[in-house]
Amino acid sequence: MSGDKVRLNTEWLCDCGGCHVALVDLHEKILNVLEKVEIQKCPVLTDEKGYPEADIGILTGSVRTEHDRHAAMEMRRKCRTIIAFGTCAVYGGLHGAGLAHSREEIMDHVYRHSPTTRTDFIPGNSISGLEKMVTPIDEVIDVDLYLPGCPPHPHFIFEGLSALVEKRSPRVGQESVCAGCRRTMVRTEVDTLREPNEGVPDNATCFLSQGYICQGSVTLDRCLAPCPNHGMPCSGCAGPTMQVLTEPTRDIRTEISERMSRLTKIPYETIRTHLEKSAKTQYAYAMATKMIGNKPTFLIRKWIAEGEAQP
Amino acid sequence: MLEMTINDKACRGCRLCLDICPTECFSFDQQTAKAQVAVAENCIACLSCAFLCPSGAIGHRNHHEVKNFYRNIEFSQRMGRFL
Repeated sequence: MSGDKVRLNTEWLCDCGGCHVALVDLHEKILNVLEKVEIQKCPVLTDEKGYPEADIGILTGSVRTEHDRHAAMEMRRKCRTIIAFGTCAVYGGLHGAGLAHSREEIMDHVYRHSPTTRTDFIPGNSISGLEKMVTPIDEVIDVDLYLPGCPPHPHFIFEGLSALVEKRSPRVGQESVCAGCRRTMVRTEVDTLREPNEGVPDNATCFLSQGYICQGSVTLDRCLAPCPNHGMPCSGCAGPTMQVLTEPTRDIRTEISERMSRLTKIPYETIRTHLEKSAKTQYAYAMATKMIGNKPTFLIRKWIAEGEAQP
Repeated sequence: MLEMTINDKACRGCRLCLDICPTECFSFDQQTAKAQVAVAENCIACLSCAFLCPSGAIGHRNHHEVKNFYRNIEFSQRMGRFL
């Protein structure tokens, strides 16, 4: 391969592997990328076990095991620019919800008391040890760029990678998922919250207007809004908007409650309490990051305890 | 001079900006069912509309930015590194 290509390493830590699939989702555009990029290490493409020197390093997944920590540090040592790629790398991701439980509870549930297996011992030396916490990678190594999304839509991957290769600033939007949703937000007389499986929502009207919880307005658009445009409320997989991350008084539950209570007849307090009771779901993708976890108003353990105390 | 813009494509027509604006800068176009900036001169740059807008569709330029004294500066700086 020619020497003037940009050298790329990718590595996955604790994640589902979907972010690497998203790279392939560039479809024909991947050919444009490959003209300028040489992929040296990529767990789904190459058999490279070491960490060669590279210009760009893409890290997906969060740090959950001893191996993850080692891999993240090796990547930082060998790559000039590190991109935290995907929600797990940036915010800890879905398994960040594991922080609502202790390591012992999780190991016990998965290996000792799993209802679908007969074995009941905790594996010893055959797997990498589980760390106490789920850690977004920027708490372990320095990160140069962040691309959240679960996974990020190829539109944003292509823009980000081409900008890096061409050494220009990427065009980034800070709109929420609502900006890409085709539903209309209208005032309604709806006075009760509805569960996602209750009734069939109208396809032209905003979920919030109809009494369904949707995280579109508090979620950064790195997906082009596929879920709300296809009948499913947003679950917040790309992580919170910039204002939720940076403003101490802004929060996922208060922002949804404020907007929804203005659109419907459901009181603010009712919505906020509902979101607190279902906090493990509402904050699942981002609770591992200190940007959310360190907010003085984020009291997830209290909310879970309250939720479990009530029948 | 302060400029205020609404990204038409992103506006969902919820009228929350009309509700919250203390100086009544916005109007609502019934035909397109979208909000419009009617009197930008009235804007006092409180940014309430920008924070409440579900889409993040409202943008302000040339306004006086209040010093970032109560935010977490470390996190705020990271925001510039988002792709």
